[in-house]
Amino acid sequence: MSSVAPEPVVDETVVDDGSAHRESIWAKTVYKLRRDRLGMVGLSVVLLYFIVAIGVWLGIWATEWGDVEGPKWAPMSAEYWFGTNIIGQDVFARAIYSTKTAFEVGLVVAVLSTIIGALLGALAGFFSGTWIDEIILWLKGVLDSIPFYLFVAAVAFALSGNPYAMHIAMVSTFWTTTGRLVRGEVIKLKNFEFVEAARAIGVPQVVIIFRHILPNTFHILLVQATIVFVAAIKSEVILSFLGLGVQDGVSWGLMIAESTQEVLAGFFNNFVWASVFLFGLVMAFNMFSDALQDALDPRKVASE
Amino acid sequence: MSSENKTPLLSVRNLVVEFSTRYGPVRAVDDISFDVYPNETVGIVGESGCGKTVTGLTLLQLIPMPPGRIVQGSINFDGRDLTKLSEKEMQEMRGSDISMIFQEPMTALNPVFSVGNQMIDVLRRHKNLTRRQARELAINMLDTVGIPAPRKRIDEYPHQMSGGMRQRVMIAMALSCGPKLLIADEPTTALDVTTQAQVMEQIVKLQDEFHMSMILVTHDLGVVAESCDRAIVMYCGNIIETAAIDDLFHKPQHPYTRGLLDSIPRIREERITELPIIRGMVPDLLHLPDGCRFADRCPRATDECRQDKPVVNIDPVTGNGVACYHPMG
Amino acid sequence: MEVLQYAIRKLLGGIPLVLGVTFISFLLMVYFGPDKTYELLGKNPTQEQIDEIRHELGYDKPFMVRYGEYLKQMATLDFGASDSTGEPVSKVLARTVPISLALITPGFILGNVLGILLALIAAYHRSGPIDKYIMGFSVVGMSISFLIVVIAFQIIFSSSYGLNAFPVRGWNVHSFSDYLRYITVPTLATIFVALGYNTRFYRAVLVEEMTRDHVRTAKAFGTRPGKLLYKNILKNSMIPIITRIMFSIPLVVVSGSLIIESYFGIPGIGKVTYDAITTGDQPILKAVVGLTAVLFVITLLITDILYRVVDPRVSLK
Repeated sequence: MSSVAPEPVVDETVVDDGSAHRESIWAKTVYKLRRDRLGMVGLSVVLLYFIVAIGVWLGIWATEWGDVEGPKWAPMSAEYWFGTNIIGQDVFARAIYSTKTAFEVGLVVAVLSTIIGALLGALAGFFSGTWIDEIILWLKGVLDSIPFYLFVAAVAFALSGNPYAMHIAMVSTFWTTTGRLVRGEVIKLKNFEFVEAARAIGVPQVVIIFRHILPNTFHILLVQATIVFVAAIKSEVILSFLGLGVQDGVSWGLMIAESTQEVLAGFFNNFVWASVFLFGLVMAFNMFSDALQDALDPRKVASE
Repeated sequence: MSSENKTPLLSVRNLVVEFSTRYGPVRAVDDISFDVYPNETVGIVGESGCGKTVTGLTLLQLIPMPPGRIVQGSINFDGRDLTKLSEKEMQEMRGSDISMIFQEPMTALNPVFSVGNQMIDVLRRHKNLTRRQARELAINMLDTVGIPAPRKRIDEYPHQMSGGMRQRVMIAMALSCGPKLLIADEPTTALDVTTQAQVMEQIVKLQDEFHMSMILVTHDLGVVAESCDRAIVMYCGNIIETAAIDDLFHKPQHPYTRGLLDSIPRIREERITELPIIRGMVPDLLHLPDGCRFADRCPRATDECRQDKPVVNIDPVTGNGVACYHPMG
Repeated sequence: MEVLQYAIRKLLGGIPLVLGVTFISFLLMVYFGPDKTYELLGKNPTQEQIDEIRHELGYDKPFMVRYGEYLKQMATLDFGASDSTGEPVSKVLARTVPISLALITPGFILGNVLGILLALIAAYHRSGPIDKYIMGFSVVGMSISFLIVVIAFQIIFSSSYGLNAFPVRGWNVHSFSDYLRYITVPTLATIFVALGYNTRFYRAVLVEEMTRDHVRTAKAFGTRPGKLLYKNILKNSMIPIITRIMFSIPLVVVSGSLIIESYFGIPGIGKVTYDAITTGDQPILKAVVGLTAVLFVITLLITDILYRVVDPRVSLK
């Protein structure tokens, strides 16, 4: 009534069951996303990177990333587009190959921490105020209070050389924000009529959570997954520098870590190209993530 | 009552306000004209979404721009066209010559400053006062609007007050610089029934005391009947009828006005029979019909109504007017 | 009195958190952490020597006993001496924590203050070109890895390929001008990265607040836009701003300094802790992790009291 801009009364479906609500959200989201030019540019760039990653995964290109073939620190040339590194490996092939590594890290961490965050958040929210909620909140508080890089280092050493130590450490700390957001949303949702109706007719609690509540938090999960993806590939760089990152293969982080020994001697190829590749993907992902958040909820601009 | 005053204080002509939405532009206010004379109280009535709140906000240019924009028209106030003023000049006007009070006393005041702090800000913004003088004046104003122990309550925060008290604070703030025009947007809607009556009574009393004009934006015809001299009925962004209050309630001309009046429950001697309702739905502002916007719901509508939109013709003697080809007479 | 009671209640309420943090850290860093036995022994040690060392390091005791001893150390704040150097832990902390604080504080404060300033400017010009530039800069800042910024700034400011005006690495501080020389590049890098995230966050908070009814009221009473922003909107946004600043303090002190200290070879608490993890220096680890958890609980408490200061609706009950 008091709102200044009149929202046109077009198809505001009454939220009587979850599915109608969801449908209208998604229809609007797709519509708004497609009109967001920066968001679409971001998405296209991400897809381009993804195709590159798939090609690496299928063994179509960058297969020679590990070969020691050229002279040490060769400059950029027709043969070595981005030059070579200290032991004569092709920087171009390594930068391309690292795209796959980035998607591996990003997807594994984003998917797993989103799933864990969704499950624990939904449990805590559904049983809010009970001991289940207390324990999950406590766990979240504890994990948030341990300095992240120390935690990763500790996990890495505790798992003594396990190549997935980095992934495990990230997943165990990155789920907490998703969990908090899902918990809040579930507390809101569980008082809606469709949930109360399901409860009243005796639908088991597990079914209520998985069929009726979680699907309605999907917009949060999607946005959070994009944010975690970015956080994961950015953290990988720092962790690789600390020697805790990718253990086999190559990544932009490892290339940048390698470059710290070279830049002061004037060899910039590793540093520049790994940075450019990393920046391009992260920037594109951020642009897409922004557009997604705008499309899903224009009022929420950014929160951590 | 006061329409014998020749020059209006406020004169709105052909005002059009548009909002751009992602479905296209929406005209929330479409070509409206009306006058408000000194000391007069004019009610703007209509259902939610009819454009009455936007009209009130537009007078002070408080609609967010963008997405909102004044497409055309003029707002003459006290000899100046407000649509031509700069934002700076408009700021001088707000809260001093024209004040506004809002519906939500819960959220309309700033929760983290004491009410005194907020009142003093307004006073010092528009008047050349020291902090101490402003504070004394603020206490006086709180007393005027009927807040007990104002010297103590001035240092309280909004959340420590009841809804009625908060709305009184808003009124005190609005009147503190002696405005010539007060725009009250649903000032009592959010209050409980007994408080509503008290606050409304206070507003009407103060309006007399302060010799100001008032525009009362409301959906509540009861409030209009008690406190207004004249009323404007809006429907889908148009003014469809304007009349002196007695005429409007006893001889409504527009079928829509008639419908609104009929839907007020009355306690009669016999049992309350089923309330008449207006059939159909308000058309959405994106898909308005060419002709009369009420035609689809109107029992008297003819083909003429559906083809050409009727306009309000003001009777120069009574000042009443209706936009209808088939008025109730 | 009210505040004191509240403080005590809050600190007691923080005990489960401290227990949780110390337990998980103990499990990871100490119980599953590196085993120092063989490092401390010569070649071909006898079983007796091994047992003796293991006993000395406490490896032979059951898990719960060792954790219990840790808690006792926490309570008495006596963590013994470093396994690696033999220096008392308290001395190590007294030497390294001030260095980290001196290194981190300017960047932390400037990163937040400038972030709020830029956010205010962006919010003031909301949707206009200035807003778009600032937010564009912010997304770029968010998309660059901290490490890349550090390396790039080092090339620009400290190498012969750039200005060559600041020390490449190390911490040889004897005077205030030394101090400025050594912190300039790390501080600039910190600010650059922090600005990306901070500006964006603070702008979102401010813009959210701008849509509130009380802001419209203030406008309706002729409040000037500048005053509206710094009085009405900024003060109302203090709760999320305080939350963000306060909660980043414990993490910035340890995690934030770790990268800079490792890269620039500065002997602060981050570097010492990281080395302690890799070498299994248990007394240091126990102290850092435990004290960080306590710092967190204290931060929570101070944050709540600050809420009370900025928002009269918050009660300390």
